[in-house]
Order: sequence, then C-alpha cells, then structure tokens
Amino acid sequence: MSWISVEKAKKLEERFGYPKVSESKGVVSVEVPKDKFIEFLKFLKEDKEYDFRMFIDLTIIDHGEKEDPRFQGVVILFSPSNQERIIVKTWALDETLPTLTTLWKGAKWAEREAWDMFGIKFEGHENLVRMLLWETYPYHPLRKDFPLEGIKDTYLPSLNETLRGDVLEGMFNYDRMHTAIPTMEDLEITQKKRMPVKTSQIVLNWGPLHPGTHGTIWFLFDLDGEYVRQCDIIIGQLHRGVEKLGENVNWQQFIPYTDRMDYIAAINENHAYVLAAEKLLGIEVPEKAKWIRTMMAELSRINSHLLWLGTYALDLGALTMFLYTFREREKIMDIIEGISGARFTINYFRIGGVFADLPYGALDAIEHLTKDLPKRIDDYETLLTRNRIWLSRNKDVCIITEEDVYDFGLTGAVARASGVPYDIRKIDKYDAYGEVEFDIPVGETGDSYDRYLVRMEEMRQSIRIIQQCVAKLRKMSKNDPYFFQTPDEKKLKVTIDGRGMKLPAGEVYASSDNPRGELGFYIYNKKDGLKAHRMRIRSGAFYNLQVFTKAIIGRPIADAITLLSTIDPVVGETDR
Amino acid sequence: MGIKKVRPKPQTLVEKIFFLDFIKGLKTTIKHLWKKVITVDFPYEVVTPPIRFRGIHGLRTVDGTEGPEFESWVKRLKIKPPEIGETRCIACKFCQAACPVPELFDIQAEKLDVPEDHPHYGLKVMTVFNMDLSKCTFCGLCTQACPTDCIIMTDIYDLSAYTRRNWVLDKDMLTQIANDFVARRGKEKFNEISQWREDQKLWPEYDKTREKLWDFNMPKLGPNYQDQTA
Ligand code: SF4
Ligand code: SF4
Repeated sequence: MSWISVEKAKKLEERFGYPKVSESKGVVSVEVPKDKFIEFLKFLKEDKEYDFRMFIDLTIIDHGEKEDPRFQGVVILFSPSNQERIIVKTWALDETLPTLTTLWKGAKWAEREAWDMFGIKFEGHENLVRMLLWETYPYHPLRKDFPLEGIKDTYLPSLNETLRGDVLEGMFNYDRMHTAIPTMEDLEITQKKRMPVKTSQIVLNWGPLHPGTHGTIWFLFDLDGEYVRQCDIIIGQLHRGVEKLGENVNWQQFIPYTDRMDYIAAINENHAYVLAAEKLLGIEVPEKAKWIRTMMAELSRINSHLLWLGTYALDLGALTMFLYTFREREKIMDIIEGISGARFTINYFRIGGVFADLPYGALDAIEHLTKDLPKRIDDYETLLTRNRIWLSRNKDVCIITEEDVYDFGLTGAVARASGVPYDIRKIDKYDAYGEVEFDIPVGETGDSYDRYLVRMEEMRQSIRIIQQCVAKLRKMSKNDPYFFQTPDEKKLKVTIDGRGMKLPAGEVYASSDNPRGELGFYIYNKKDGLKAHRMRIRSGAFYNLQVFTKAIIGRPIADAITLLSTIDPVVGETDR
Repeated sequence: MGIKKVRPKPQTLVEKIFFLDFIKGLKTTIKHLWKKVITVDFPYEVVTPPIRFRGIHGLRTVDGTEGPEFESWVKRLKIKPPEIGETRCIACKFCQAACPVPELFDIQAEKLDVPEDHPHYGLKVMTVFNMDLSKCTFCGLCTQACPTDCIIMTDIYDLSAYTRRNWVLDKDMLTQIANDFVARRGKEKFNEISQWREDQKLWPEYDKTREKLWDFNMPKLGPNYQDQTA
C-alpha cells in the first residue's frame, strides 16, 4: 500500500550493489553509503521507471551519544506516477551530509532545520542558518544529550512577583530560572544572517505580530519599489519542541501535544499520529471507530476551511465573510464539543479507536448541519467567486507550478490547485476513506484563485463524505466496539489512558491529508518501548510555507497577503 | 479516481456592465439584515456546556455510587476505608502517570498516627493533593486512568486569576468543586456506578441559549444507532 515493493527495491540492490534494503510494517527503506548518496537519489529522481520526483521529507535520527556513527539522515520520497513512497537513509559521518538542494529546492528548509536541531552540516547548502531558533542559540536541542526540560540558565522571575509582589517562593512547580530566550540583539543578528545580501535600500519587515500573518511569522521582503526581489521568512516564535516531547512521553500522552500543533484542525493532527502509531503496532481499529474518525476528520476539515475562508476574505477587505463563516463554524465547534468535551484541543482519537462512543443525538446534529451547510457555501460563493474585486486580487496572482509542487514537496490544496491530484485519502485509503466516494478537486493554473476554488470544492466534498459516514453509522449497533479490544492482554496492551502501553521496534511513516497538506509522522523505534526513539513530524504547512519565498518574487507587496492566505499555514504546525 | 476540475467561466460583459456581481452580493447581505441576532451576550447570558465538557477538575467523595472494585482498590493500597463524604482518592497516582504533564500533580499519602491496636493501624490516608492547573492541557487522560472514578472534570471553564497561586487547587477546593458539580449535573453524566452514562446527550436540551448560536434552527436529538432507544 503506497510503498515501493521489496522486490522492486531489491532490483536497486542488484543494479548498484551498495544499497541495503530493509522493510518494517510495509515501509521500505534503502540504506546507501554517504559518498553514493546524491548519485543514488539523482537516479531515483530521474529514472523513468522509479520516478521518485516528489520530495516529502528529510530528517535526522540521533542514535545516542555512545553510538558510532551517531547520526543518520533519512529522506522520504514519493513517486507521482507509481503512487508509492520510499525511504533512503545514509550515515552522517563526521556530522556532515551532502546537500539535497541541488536536486530538490524544497530540501533547503529541511536541511536548515536538521542543522538547527541536530547540528548536522550540509555541504553545499547556500545559506545554512538555523530554522526555528535564533542564530546565537548555543545548543542543538533534538540531540539525545539535550535534556527535555532544557537548560535553565536565564533568571526570569514571574511578573506576579516583580509587579504584584506576590510571594511565590517555595510554591510547588515554580522556578525563577528559565531556559534561554532571545534578546533584541540576538534577533538582529538572526535577521541579518537570514538575508545576508540585500539588493535594495529597504528591507520591509512584516510580522511577527501582524494580524495579516495569521500567527507569529516574521517576513523579510527585499523591495524594489513595490516589487519583491528577495524574501525570507523567520519562523520559530511558537516553537515548543513537540518532536522532543514526542520522544519523552507515552504513546497516548502525546496526542494532546499534537492538538497544539495545527490547533485549527486538531482532529486531523490526532488522526495522522494515531495512524502512524497503529501502523507500528500493527492493529486494525474497529469498524465503528474508523467511520467515526473519518466523519470527525471531515468535520474538522470544514471547520478549518471556514476559518481560512473568513480570515482570507477579511484580509482582502470582505469583512462580512468572516462573520458568516464564524457562524457556521460555531455550530461545528458545538458539535465537536458535545462529542469530545473540548472545542479546540480536542484529543478525541486514541491509538486503537476513539475514547468514547458518540453521545445521544450526535448523528442527528451532524445530519442537520450537512443539510444546512451547502446553502451557506453557496451564499459565500455568491459573495466572492465572481466578484470583480475578488477576481482581480486573486486571478493569476502568485502562480505555483506543477514543477514547484514536486520540487518543494507541496501537498494539500496548494498542490491540488496546481493540477496535481495528490491526496493521501485516496493514496493510502486510511480508515474509511477507501469506502467512501468523493472527488479530488484540482485546479488548472495554480494561481490564488484556483487555491480558493479548490478549498471551496473540498468543503462540498467533505459534506459528501460526512453524509456517507452518517448513513453507515446509523446502520451500526450501539454495542459495537469503538476501541480496539486486544485478544491477549499479555502480548499486546492498548489502553485508553496509555499507561503501560508499549510499541514494538520498527520504523513507520504514515500520514493523513490535513487541511493544510500532508501531515506525516515518522516514528523510529529502536526496541519495544514506552516512548519513541525518534518522532519526526512532517508538517505540510512548513513545506507549503517555504514556496512563499519563491512565489512572491516579482510580485507587488500587496500580493503577499493573498499568497499567504491561500497557502494557509498555521504557525503551530510550521514551528511545532 | 474521481478528479474534479474547478474553474468557473469568466465574467460576461453583461455581468460587468450592470454590476451583476455586486447586486448578487448585496442581495445576500440584505437577506441577513432581517435576521435575529445570534451572538450570545456573555457574561449576562451563558451557554451551558455539554455534559462531556472538560473543565476544571474535581475530586469526588464517597456517596454510595462507587464502582464494584472500589473496596478492593482501597484494600490493595492500604488506605483507611473512607466513610460517606470522605474523598475517594486512594493516592495511587495513576492520574499522574497518565498525565502528559506529570509535574503538575503533587499527591502524598501518610500513615495514620494511631496506636497499634487501633483497627486503622498501618493504614494510610491521602493528605496532599495539589494540582497546578496553569500547566494542565485539559486532555482528560487523568480521569480515564483513575480506578476509583475519583478525579473528574466538571463544566467550569472560568479559571482566570490575577496570580499563579490561584491556579494551584488543593484537595479541599477540588473536593468542593466536585461536590458542587455532582449535585448540579451528576445525574446527567454518571450512572449508579460512577461511570459515564451510556445515554449522555450531545448537549443539554433544557438550555435555551444554545438556540441562538444555532440560528434558532436547532436539530432535534434522537438515537444514533438503529438499536438505540431514547
Ligand atoms: S487533564 Fe490532562 S493535563 Fe490536565 S491533569 Fe488531567 S491528564 Fe494532566
Ligand atoms: S488516580 Fe484517582 S485515586 Fe489515584 S491518585 Fe489519582 S485521583 Fe486519587
């Protein structure tokens, strides 16, 4: 399923001699020596039969201080013509790796992140600066010798103490020492290093605290009059080290942390994670859980797209849109709140199903909503789709080509608007997606207008999926299980609260189609354990945001708002 | 594989000259002009949270609705058998073990200071139970781990305070919160053995404020599955 077959990978072994093929839970990875790394990847990319044109992810595994070699590079690729993935690995001897940016431009940020987090140098990278942390930060936090709680070296008492005069001394859980935070000077150095050569007099700073940036993103525009000549983005203001946390908490305990990545579509984040963990466990969740999860994931997609539409239109001057979409959004949130107990950080899915069955009346409310929503979406479209202001601000604005999609690893609506029908729901058919009918909307030109249309159509398709899920669930029994029931507690323990749950050794990569692109979890587990050895999160928003720096070149500065809105990143996920 | 191309036809000349796009848009706006206000006027008006709502925690007391395994848990952990009205907590720390932020709990138990011939000799009671809710993610894993259904989540969401100190709730406060919640809405949420009722409703139907946020067009709640009854 969506992975290269072992036989086909073995052919590579025969052909080159040096690759070593291994397989775990259907995930096929090939290990090659470092000096053949680029040559091998180039072959995979350019060969017609293999055709691994699309870049998915690059990361590092730290095997621990005592190991030699210690660091291993991991690259995940996708072949659009064969609809399959492959993992290529190599050892980062002397803590260096050759750069991949000569093959895929999208590797640029991933390599910067790897340098930032692991201190691996990429030879030939054009400007290897940090990605999420500031330039003067001395550590590489995802290394195994870096403690989870960080290094508390900054004196930073609570404002309660300094301003209000509260006595907090001795209060449990309170410490005046804090991990390092950047000073103004640090930020200035960071900013200069991110854009070492400027072509014009003015570098415009946009953000990090600007309402148009939808979060804390800091843009640097090198301007020629009104036109952007060069652009770079500083992210990381919301970096909380979710990957590090993932390597230090239990399997089920990690789900609330994934809620806090893409907080607008928390359910979809949970979904991707539980899919990966279930794949590693090798379990099938009960039928009912599958359908509930599919339904909830689509509700969440509509929820997320409504927020996108409202803020996007608001940014382009259509204020009322925001009020309309938030009205519908409120209803969805109300349903989700009734089912799971929370509106935003939902934490409803579990590895093995969901934590509780649907409450009485849930399906009725959802059905009611799906009857009402299409009319509302029509309303939105009458306001926007053919409106001349809307057209002139979106049509042919910031075109993203098919080539860019493969080069930068773009996914989700951004890829689909450029004419690439890349949809994990169809490729992997996880949960009930193999059994429901829906179309993938694709655009033609890849401009902002197409990205708008694709998301609008996605909402309609989601409604279709939800209706099918409701119909299917109606036929089930209230006694059907909603959580995995293990045949033998001793061999395999799956608990709702996650205590005592061990996952086996192995490596998996599984992803879900998030409203913001492909969200993948790469889990590498050395031995059976209560915690993951390496938890890599492939963020769709992160890679999609990267193309911003290319698509904005040569466009007037006002298009930055349109482009950012149609790429629709969420900072919780880009920064993790 | 179903692929659907999206691209509407370009604007026609008629549309352009007569500003039909604007007129259509205005029609939608005007339609909304006559609708009733749907915003809830917080704090003068509040929506009652659904029964599953994950708000501030509480610690339940013994009230005769404990689960069948309660006594064996009490014995196993050498806890003084609680009387009616005393806390159910047996200081097993399962909640802490399940919590993604375990350092927010401070749970301690102490041996009772009684002479050797006292029936409670050698038994313990829970003496300290502090929760620093400023660090809580409100995920609900603690409530799912608790073997005695002691720690629960209530429908209280207002945790604002001027100082961090007020976010640390101690065992008396937590007990009080749970008692208040169980008295108000316990029947809606729990069954006779303190587990979640099977027929919990999506939201309380007695709450009329909710109609507002549903545009005065509320769905009627009915059974989900074919073999479910009202
Ligand atoms: S709700 Fe979650 S974070 Fe809060 S105390 Fe319970 S387990 Fe911990
Ligand atoms: S799990 Fe329940 S009984 Fe055990 S310490 Fe926590 S609240 Fe007390």
